[in-house]
Amino acid sequence: MKKILLDARELEHPIPLQLALNHLQKMDLDEFLYMIHRKNPIPLIEIAKEKNYAYLSHNHKDIWHILICKNINSNLEELLDV
Amino acid sequence: MFSQGGLSLEQAPPISVVLRFFVTASIFGVLLGIFILFSNLNLLSSTQYSFELIVVHTLSLGVMASFMLGAMFQMLPVIAGVVIKMATKKAMVAHILLVIGIFLQIGAFKTGSSLLYLATAIILGSGLLHASTLMLKELIKVKNHSSSSKGMVFALSSFILAIIFGIFMLLVLGGYIDGSFFSQIKEVHYSFALFGWITLLIISISFQVVEMFYVTPKYPNIMSRYLVISLFLLLILKMIILFSGLDAIIVNIILALLFILYATITIMRLYKRRRPTSDATVWFWRLGMSFLIITSSIMLVNSSNETIKDISYITFIGFALSIVFAMVYKIVPFLVWFHLSNQGYMEAPMMHDVIHPKKAKIHFYIHISLFSLWIINIFFDIFLLKILLDILLISSFGLLLYNLLYAINKYRYTQRNFEPIKW
Repeated sequence: MKKILLDARELEHPIPLQLALNHLQKMDLDEFLYMIHRKNPIPLIEIAKEKNYAYLSHNHKDIWHILICKNINSNLEELLDV
Repeated sequence: MFSQGGLSLEQAPPISVVLRFFVTASIFGVLLGIFILFSNLNLLSSTQYSFELIVVHTLSLGVMASFMLGAMFQMLPVIAGVVIKMATKKAMVAHILLVIGIFLQIGAFKTGSSLLYLATAIILGSGLLHASTLMLKELIKVKNHSSSSKGMVFALSSFILAIIFGIFMLLVLGGYIDGSFFSQIKEVHYSFALFGWITLLIISISFQVVEMFYVTPKYPNIMSRYLVISLFLLLILKMIILFSGLDAIIVNIILALLFILYATITIMRLYKRRRPTSDATVWFWRLGMSFLIITSSIMLVNSSNETIKDISYITFIGFALSIVFAMVYKIVPFLVWFHLSNQGYMEAPMMHDVIHPKKAKIHFYIHISLFSLWIINIFFDIFLLKILLDILLISSFGLLLYNLLYAINKYRYTQRNFEPIKW
């Protein structure tokens, strides 16, 4: 799958959400968003849930790794890069 | 906007709930400026006492409470994960009672009519109590409080106490009840309103938004955990001391020291931003915190000099309005973009298209000019300077009103002219 990387650790709110939503709206089935953030972005995950996207939110050494893709059957754990 | 609790976005209130309060606050600001201008031009006559009461209450309720209640309706679901059922209806009831109540109160202060005092106590009192108790009731149910949501509990509790004492004073002024302890109640009323409701709410929210909006280091744990409760307990202690007929000077000094500490740490946090960019909302925050330091320093000195006291009142107003403006310029563009984007409008305007940062900067220049000249005017009291101040006050709120209406127009334009996609 094609990875869309978004490192939002140093971006001011709500730019991470703005960029992530832009990616989600345009995303193809063979793509996934890989977001790295200092917080768990609950609103983004809630949107992913509501739109029936596959999502994974994982905390590693106080950094959040958030993976979202359109294909609900994707195994995102395999794509986790920690 | 940035819950850490877990919330369905469907539970967030519609954008109209927030904007209704913000537009009302800006209109009250413009009306206040016109009222002061007409009074200075001797086109309106009122006693100094009623003039001051009208100005203070239009500012604290018409402007500040409107902004803060609107922001609370938006922030409770997202900061605290609190769901207000039928938020639109409940906000509308609070809004209508607030607006009618403020006009009744202005009438009561202007005419001294007993009936108007009673009507204000009932309508304004019930509107404010309705909004504050429904929020507090839901907040208390939260199981895992953040420092922000816990702080909101104390801010709302302070607001409720300020409202209750306010109702008492309205009934005394209307001649319905005996006015025992009136001066003590007056001091407790404004202490809870200014230092409790306004300041505690700003402090509570800052613990979450400063770090989030500006990518700053976190506040020290001891501060985010214990500052708000300490301030609230000090206000309760002050109330007890005042009702015991004693002087609360020591409590005021501790309050002032804590405010200075908080404001200094906030300014330092803002200087340690990871990506410092030129942003008017940061300037508003820095100015607001500087004003809080000046107000608190004057409290610390406890001067009986009227000029010094007047400066402390002006800088407190400057503190509160600066932070409110900073928040409005962050919240409104975000909400317009977010609601449209979530509805599936690919053409949703980006945040800087909703309210351009340059417009917020122009507002900042007007705002800082207004407060600088206001302080200068205390020393010189020049008629033309007063008129210029009134024009700046009207311009400040007029520009904000224009920016809000522009944002609303953008929102409606997108909904009317584009088709949402399903995604």
